[in-house]
Amino acid sequence: MSAETLDTGFARESETGVFARAGVLRRLARDRAAALAGLVLTVIVLAALFAPWIAPYDPYFTDLTKVMRPPDAEHWFGTDNTGRDILSRVIFGTRNTLILGLVGVIVGGLIGGIMGIFATYYRRLDGWIMRLVDIMLAFPAILIGLAVAAIFGAGLSAVAIALVVATVPAVAREARGAAMGVMGHDFMEAGRAVGVSDGALIWRYLTLNCISTIFVFLTLRFGQIILTGSALGFLGMGAQPPTAELGMMAAQGRDFLFMAPHIATIPSCVIFVIVLAANLLGDAFRDVFDPRLQT
Amino acid sequence: MIRLALGMSLALCVTGPATAQTLHLMKGIDAPHYDAQRTTWGPTSDIVNMFQDTLVALDWDGRTPVPYLAKSWTISEDGRTYTFKLRDDVSFCSGKKFTAEDVVYSFKRLKDPAIKAPYAWRAGVIKELRATDPYTVEYELEEPYSELLLQLTMFTNVIHNKESVEALGKDYGIKGADGTGPWCFESWQPRTEIVLKRHDAYKWGPSLYKNKGPVKFEKLSVKIMPEESSRVAAMMAGQFDMTHQFPPQFIAQARAAPMLTVTPAKPNFQLLYFGFKTTRPMVSDKRVREAMSIAINRAEIAKGVLLGNADPAFTIVDSDALDHDAGTRGIVKEDVERAKALLDEAGWKIGSDGVREKDSIKLQPKVYYTQAGNTPRVAEAIQGYLRRIGVQWQLQPWDSTIASAKMAEQDYEIWSVTVPYLSAGDLMNIYFDSRNIPTPNRMNWKDTETDEWLKQGRSALTDTDRAKYYALVQQKVMREHLWMPVLNINMDQVANKKITDARPHMIYQNTFYKGLDVSRQK
Repeated sequence: MSAETLDTGFARESETGVFARAGVLRRLARDRAAALAGLVLTVIVLAALFAPWIAPYDPYFTDLTKVMRPPDAEHWFGTDNTGRDILSRVIFGTRNTLILGLVGVIVGGLIGGIMGIFATYYRRLDGWIMRLVDIMLAFPAILIGLAVAAIFGAGLSAVAIALVVATVPAVAREARGAAMGVMGHDFMEAGRAVGVSDGALIWRYLTLNCISTIFVFLTLRFGQIILTGSALGFLGMGAQPPTAELGMMAAQGRDFLFMAPHIATIPSCVIFVIVLAANLLGDAFRDVFDPRLQT
Repeated sequence: MIRLALGMSLALCVTGPATAQTLHLMKGIDAPHYDAQRTTWGPTSDIVNMFQDTLVALDWDGRTPVPYLAKSWTISEDGRTYTFKLRDDVSFCSGKKFTAEDVVYSFKRLKDPAIKAPYAWRAGVIKELRATDPYTVEYELEEPYSELLLQLTMFTNVIHNKESVEALGKDYGIKGADGTGPWCFESWQPRTEIVLKRHDAYKWGPSLYKNKGPVKFEKLSVKIMPEESSRVAAMMAGQFDMTHQFPPQFIAQARAAPMLTVTPAKPNFQLLYFGFKTTRPMVSDKRVREAMSIAINRAEIAKGVLLGNADPAFTIVDSDALDHDAGTRGIVKEDVERAKALLDEAGWKIGSDGVREKDSIKLQPKVYYTQAGNTPRVAEAIQGYLRRIGVQWQLQPWDSTIASAKMAEQDYEIWSVTVPYLSAGDLMNIYFDSRNIPTPNRMNWKDTETDEWLKQGRSALTDTDRAKYYALVQQKVMREHLWMPVLNINMDQVANKKITDARPHMIYQNTFYKGLDVSRQK
């Protein structure tokens, strides 16, 4: 058997990318809920990306003569307790919230994925890595966020660190589970036997065969990360004034629930929509990629 | 509405039905203990004032000491010796008779270094206290102290029972404390409730009250409810009789509520200010400090942020407070264009991002404050104003448990607190004396003239002299723009309509004071 013969079948199929599987996008599009969720998320992401051009007002401009105005033609989402335009702050706040979610998913996914795959491939590391993962799992993200904020001060960085730390152990477990399945295949044993390097085996055969599982897990995780990030923002651990962030905006509005409920409810609704859309899309990805759910 | 419902549920859970014999009070924050000599903590002061007494009481005007445990006094010509004649009909809750020895013991304990009393200075520089007979005390000072009588009204100068202090040891002020007040300490469940009972023998109420004692309720329960919405809901639901910590943003609703009465404490000296750490390069130039102070609109902040529950403050000492200097009124003149010109003049030029810079350093001062009360909202509003002149405040709120420690550090430029005070001398001796560097003189303001004038004011033998020296200090610190006075915060007492004769006092953010006249309609 030569090394070239390994580049066929199961191993090669995954190398072409998760979206390139036959009919993935078509099947996603057939799922109406997923399609709608995808559309909503696309609109939200575009709004966040082009925030400076889309936002009708400077999100930081205060006008104390216009505090707590309900939604009207001039300010579609009303104004907050310092007279800032809530729509503009929601657009900018969404950007920060999404960035936090993406940092949590990408960095946490990367570190967790590497840990899980290394724990599987190098059996001697398995015990150490998984015990570390167990320890990390023992701390809720909120607690980690509070600790990081206490040490380094509150801010977006503190929340990002907390989200990454909270994501890593879950991804590591998922990646390890997926990698264990792949390790059981003959081509891994064969690769070792013919002298394929560890690096090639880990990347080309192990990682690429686990990546769809990790990807689906992260899409499902994304909504949860957004929610945790917003909760940390709500508790004051996240963005500091005047930076807009959805959780913090909801927190600022809670003192005015009786007289100006829109200040808290609008950012809360936006968080709800983002999380719902992310979860629906994650479910759809799982349906598409998980062979057990395919008929 | 969900919060209202939850708040009402919580309120119903934590309070039983109001009984005719129990007065139900409620507040948002508890104290670490109730030993008045070992704290500066406002939440200690209100309870202490209920169960312990001072030699002199503070009249409704907030500036006149009136006889209390001391029925009269004389002052020596050199202003160093006060001779107090004490009442002979006073007893502690334990039944022990109150005498001059209790006064001597209390002030000796206050000055004992082991106690580390943070407000010991309020009692003056004591040379010696002598009990010349059971009801006469000679209070001798090292140097005259013109505000001694006013300061003796403060909770830190209450009279303690030596037997109670020694019997309870480290638990004094926690498991109990004896006092001569109209109420007696019964129990304390930290962060939940403190219960006081009527002092039946009490009949020595000060002249400001119609009722000289005893109080009209058998018990007084003070519940702690940190959640603002719960406090609102509980008052609306009639679960409590009174509170002085009704969230200010809901005061309008309280005024409109048919079952509640809102009464402002007048006068009330509570200043919300931002102070500048003058040793930090970014704010060492007084032109920069003045620019920030005049670039804001205090009236808009009072109306827009505090919803009218505050008045704009253009001077550091309220115009109604003792020894306020009227000459300081024109020093802070809001003028955005002049603010910009001052910053230009000081060398801070607008950068490409709209933030001013000088020698490649951005004008982005760090601002520390406590993440509670009105300050966060006011800080954000000011941050908005200052962006317009190219100053970018970096707001750094801290949890109240670590805020004072953080503010004692040196790596920030500006801080904010809300400070209650009695008089110009009271406020300025705390903050501007160089002996109080680094805290509470967080400005690191070390100025020979200021120190000398403060000393002259403290030791003045006449009211005119005291006012003269304190006026000089006010002029100096205001012209240096060491502080940016922003708001004089109102303090409202919210009571159930059934509660009568509950005139709010102003002493140290404590509207209840002795509560001698308070009664409930049948």
